[in-house]
Amino acid sequence: MTNDVILRVEDLQTHFFTRTGIVKAVDGISFELGRGETLGIVGESGSGKSMTAWSILGMVPHPGRIVGGTIDYLGENLLEKSRGEMREIRGSGICMVMQDPLTSLNPVFTVGDQLVETLKLEYEEPKRSLRRRAAELLANVRIPAPEDRLANFPHQMSGGMRQRVVGAISIARAPNLLIADEPTTSLDATIQLQYLRLLKDIQEQTGAAIIFITHDFGIVARMCDRVAVMYAGRIVEQSDVEDMFDHPAHPYTEALLQSVPDLDTDVDTLPSIEGQPPSLDALPEGCSFAPRCPHAWERCQEYPDEFTVAPRHTSRCWRSE
Amino acid sequence: MAAVASPTAAEAVNGDGALVRLEGIRRHFPVYRGNLLRRRTGTVKAVDGISINIMPGQTYSLVGESGCGKTTTSRMLLMADEPTDGSIYFDSRPMAQFSGAERRNFRASVQAVFQDPWSSLNPRMRVDQIISEPLITHQRLSRSAVRSQVQELLQVVGLHPFHAERYPHEFSGGQRQRIAIARALSTRPKLIVLDEPVSALDVSIRAQILNLLKELQSSYELSYLLIAHNLATVRYMSHMVGVMYLGKIVEEAPPIELFTDPQHPYTKALISASLPAHPRQQREEIVLTGEVPSPLNPPGGCAFHPRCPFVMERCSTDLPVLREYRPGHATACHLYD
Repeated sequence: MTNDVILRVEDLQTHFFTRTGIVKAVDGISFELGRGETLGIVGESGSGKSMTAWSILGMVPHPGRIVGGTIDYLGENLLEKSRGEMREIRGSGICMVMQDPLTSLNPVFTVGDQLVETLKLEYEEPKRSLRRRAAELLANVRIPAPEDRLANFPHQMSGGMRQRVVGAISIARAPNLLIADEPTTSLDATIQLQYLRLLKDIQEQTGAAIIFITHDFGIVARMCDRVAVMYAGRIVEQSDVEDMFDHPAHPYTEALLQSVPDLDTDVDTLPSIEGQPPSLDALPEGCSFAPRCPHAWERCQEYPDEFTVAPRHTSRCWRSE
Repeated sequence: MAAVASPTAAEAVNGDGALVRLEGIRRHFPVYRGNLLRRRTGTVKAVDGISINIMPGQTYSLVGESGCGKTTTSRMLLMADEPTDGSIYFDSRPMAQFSGAERRNFRASVQAVFQDPWSSLNPRMRVDQIISEPLITHQRLSRSAVRSQVQELLQVVGLHPFHAERYPHEFSGGQRQRIAIARALSTRPKLIVLDEPVSALDVSIRAQILNLLKELQSSYELSYLLIAHNLATVRYMSHMVGVMYLGKIVEEAPPIELFTDPQHPYTKALISASLPAHPRQQREEIVLTGEVPSPLNPPGGCAFHPRCPFVMERCSTDLPVLREYRPGHATACHLYD
């Protein structure tokens, strides 16, 4: 981990302009990511975590629009880039890791063709040397006999192998940042572990930073250095990963961590969070977690500022004032 | 003698007093090839000889990866499918000998809650229609009796009586799952099949639903057959756990014992693959190579042997049988012969 910042998001606001009103999917979030660092963005459906990822990639779907803030990538504001420039950055600098690694390969092209197609964008070289690079990439993700595998079609490979090929394609142009949106929800436990280890491996080789978009604190515990918890479009708590698990400051984080059953301890009744996640078009005034919060008081009528509770640890709750 | 398991666990193994007993259940699907000259080319052994006992008021959990036969097993319990071989006993009566009345009674006594409450509720039916449908099918009740039962069920699952008039799209995921639970409870069942009941729900809602299921279990003496892949959920909910691999149960034990002292290498790998609860928690990670083989051509001997880190010579030829390792804890592995 270094202090070399590659991504700095400041006061990002992504709003959706619907017929019934403005939905503030992302409502002023800020975070930083250093080279080789892994950030987990944790939240429930509708918390704005996926829209944060799409905003960074410049792919916010209609009728959404980024209405404020900056996304600073290697010193340049991505929000001022043209479509063509963003397209280039998406391929080479910032890369999305597909949600379902098993179905994102094209079944009618060989693995070698698909790798060479990507490599062609990066290197102007004859096909033979591109194929050599492709074989090297396969070797990097630990596929045995990579030269022979280039001629295979995806269906000739096992699921684990295909996963590795997708991994190889995503690092073909040596990206600085990988964004993984719920990368393992469709996988069985033992396959999930293989995949997470592959991503760690790729990270060690390329030094890329990774953003994990997830609802699972287990993935955060296993993979991340930093963690940001989102609720109703805002980051309510942000810290280094161990500090978050040891001293959660925001009541939402605290309750969420307690409500997940643990494989190694027994409890009679899980502490649960009452109520439902809020709907973004009818957010309460003030703190959006207040209606479900056991500690809510009058102060919560007003939206809390961001307070520093410890070094590198902030929380948006009046209790931390 | 090794440590003594709880008496209920020992009882469960004998099958005395079990609400439902599966004995040597197999479900084989024939595979055909060709249209004109159709011929049978193979068999998928989705479930291949499993025996389990579900005790009254207790939860039996089946864990394992996709394609291991968990759901096929539950379908046979729901009478949505019939076993190729083996018998299912309900209250000690074999299902094959059921009279018409017994079959109807059985169908009312075994209900299900499915994974995805967005597709398991009919969007065109009001909540009261959804909940009362099984009630009307199984019992002759006056309209006012149906209405009062629906109101009561809504309250039991933590919803309001005025919700009866609404449609499913007006509810969040957790509330929909409560509606599905109310529907399952309407016929006063003895057993509910829970197929991944919380994995489609938001994290902050899961604990609510798990706690509700536990409460209902103790107040109505319900038995559950829980199918889940999250082992922590299984530990929280179950009284007995069966680990399945390619249609067979490879290990069976009460949850605390299974998770603290797993015997079968596959169980160990599953536990080691579950994500940690804290960043400082280090699990010894047993990385299995490859994936679950196709049930069409399962490997000979122990089906797990091609992926097993402790494989021995005999594993590829001899089929290990499920054997008691200590009372209440059985495993099918040559390491313990």
